[in-house]
Amino acid sequence: MSEQAQETVGTIGDVEFGAELPAFAPDTGLENVKRFGREVGWGGGRFTDHEVARKEGFPGAIVPGVMSQGYLGAMIHRWAPKSEIVAIDTVFRAPVLVDHPHRIVGVVTDVDEDAGTVEIDISIVNEREETRVFGTATVRLPAD
Amino acid sequence: MKADIDELRSGFLNRGFDEVTFEIDGNTFAEYARACGETDPRFTDPADPDFQAPPTYVSTLVGGRALPSDFPNLGGVGMDAGKGVEWMAPIRAGATLTGKSHMHDIYTKTGRSGRMVFLVRRMELYDQDGTHVANADTRTVIRERSSE
Repeated sequence: MSEQAQETVGTIGDVEFGAELPAFAPDTGLENVKRFGREVGWGGGRFTDHEVARKEGFPGAIVPGVMSQGYLGAMIHRWAPKSEIVAIDTVFRAPVLVDHPHRIVGVVTDVDEDAGTVEIDISIVNEREETRVFGTATVRLPAD
Repeated sequence: MKADIDELRSGFLNRGFDEVTFEIDGNTFAEYARACGETDPRFTDPADPDFQAPPTYVSTLVGGRALPSDFPNLGGVGMDAGKGVEWMAPIRAGATLTGKSHMHDIYTKTGRSGRMVFLVRRMELYDQDGTHVANADTRTVIRERSSE
């Protein structure tokens, strides 16, 4: 059972067990991935060129794993702007394809008011509702 | 022939094998933040008084070696299976970080297509004052070739 997605939360007291985070559509467009490659790294052909990626056996260019992990962090910060992500673990189950729409969904799986932290399960899913990346995060929020 | 996992664990876990230095550029991590969809100025605006790298940024820092020089070739093709980050303190623009890597875990999973070996490399990151600011884990999976 899940709660209605709450746009943003400010404090740990705002967070309900089972609450869904507002879904977030990351920018998986080729231009954005190319920019990431130029400015940060991971500019190889499998990430920035559909033809090169196909020659390597992928259906098309793929989003770097480090960028997918960054999407997850961004979604958490959008939901809880005053939060600190103290741990995040990300499992790359299948490629996130460039130029394909994806969305990120998350749910609160634990609230520890004494520690001031919440646990979140968070996933990147494609148009077929297939999970491509799965993560768990521990997030610290202010008490009030 | 399958690798002896107990032998690998006793021989390599928690043994440092790499140390590198990173100069942290604020413009680069702000670009990272924007490309990933961050909107909070503390991650995207160098003029923000709390400007800092998003916690996941440390996953982009790559060491000099992926494995110890004497680590055996397990025979299969390695693939990036995941990343983990433990965040302890903000990383600011202009910081000099030292990344010290060791093998943090070695384990196996067995599926229908055979055994897979997971290698977890941890880079501990320290700032110029020696403060431990983050751990960045990289998990590589190797599908072992079946022995004939």
